[in-house]
Amino acid sequence: MRIPRKLEVWRMGTMNYLNALKLQEKLASDRKACKISDTLLSLQHPPTYTLGKRRTDHNLLVSEDELKTMGAELHYTQRGGDITYHGPSQAILYPIISLRDIGLGARNYVEKLELTMINLASTYGVQARPGRKCETGVWVGERKIGAIGVRISSGISSHGLAFNINPDLNYFKHIVPCGLADKEVTSLTREANAELPTEEVIEEQLIASFAQLLNYDNIEWKDNASAS
Amino acid sequence: MALRVWASSAANALKLSSASTTHLSPAAPLSLSRCFSTVLDGLKYASSHEWVKHEGSVATIGITEHAQDHLGEVVFVELPEPGAAVTQASGFGAVESVKATSDVNSPISGEVIEVNTKLTETPGLINSGPYADGWMIKVKPSNPSELDSLMGPKEYTKFCEEEDAAH
Repeated sequence: MRIPRKLEVWRMGTMNYLNALKLQEKLASDRKACKISDTLLSLQHPPTYTLGKRRTDHNLLVSEDELKTMGAELHYTQRGGDITYHGPSQAILYPIISLRDIGLGARNYVEKLELTMINLASTYGVQARPGRKCETGVWVGERKIGAIGVRISSGISSHGLAFNINPDLNYFKHIVPCGLADKEVTSLTREANAELPTEEVIEEQLIASFAQLLNYDNIEWKDNASAS
Repeated sequence: MALRVWASSAANALKLSSASTTHLSPAAPLSLSRCFSTVLDGLKYASSHEWVKHEGSVATIGITEHAQDHLGEVVFVELPEPGAAVTQASGFGAVESVKATSDVNSPISGEVIEVNTKLTETPGLINSGPYADGWMIKVKPSNPSELDSLMGPKEYTKFCEEEDAAH
């Protein structure tokens, strides 16, 4: 008999990076202790640059002072992946789920995160593809539309994916995004010929795409007001 | 993915070499499991997919063939310093693959006496030789009875099969 799998989704609106990180750490710890079920944070960040565990700050092309002048923050994290930008109109999903419970390794999990974004893009007629070797992420041609950076600790995931709905792509000019020089960044708005619904609808569809790929039977929604 | 792992295992058994096969140390006998992931006799295994080889006062630790296959190509390895303490079931380092950092846990408690510095330059050794050149740390065990709580090769093989069947 298969036990129904539930995903609890917290829609957080715009959230400061460090606050989101602290929340993820708390949720991951609770998930490890089996105090909560699989949880997903859906949010956006104010302009923020982040680095992964390898601390590849040679891919940051401006000084930290210049970033401050721009009104952007910089954070070093424990996730995988290279440098990236997060900002308004970029949909972020941070699944805090037990990969161990479902026997999913890093490679398969990341493939599902890529597919989450690919399937969503195809809803709007955009043909996206997973990255080739050393180019993990989601691409439309040679243009990157979605990024991935994950941390797995004691079999529990944190961090996740970032999907460009319509962020200001100029912010990407100040970094070598994901350490890949000569690669453009793009967004759903740029690539889609169809008219797009609101960001809220697109974010919900992204969550549904994730839930389907990870075989969840039901989703429980919690918005910012009720999440403690 | 199962087909690739099977091919890799079959190639091992036939001693064929290819870029994706595991290079086994000749001294360690191997048992092929139904889940087609190589599991070695003479080692003990943790449920978080690390192995430990206890030889006298030294225990060598790494991650299993099953683990490296599920991770993908390892591009970065973080290891502790010699002299650091490790605790059973707690993290001692991490590996990065496909933009995911995965913590690696120690199967036993003790003191780190040596780390595999080759992994800094060549992290892929974990993929090509998880039980041999891809070893991660050597530890002086503080409590050898902890080894009794770990799985043997047959138990670990079954554990992998059950875990893989779960999705």
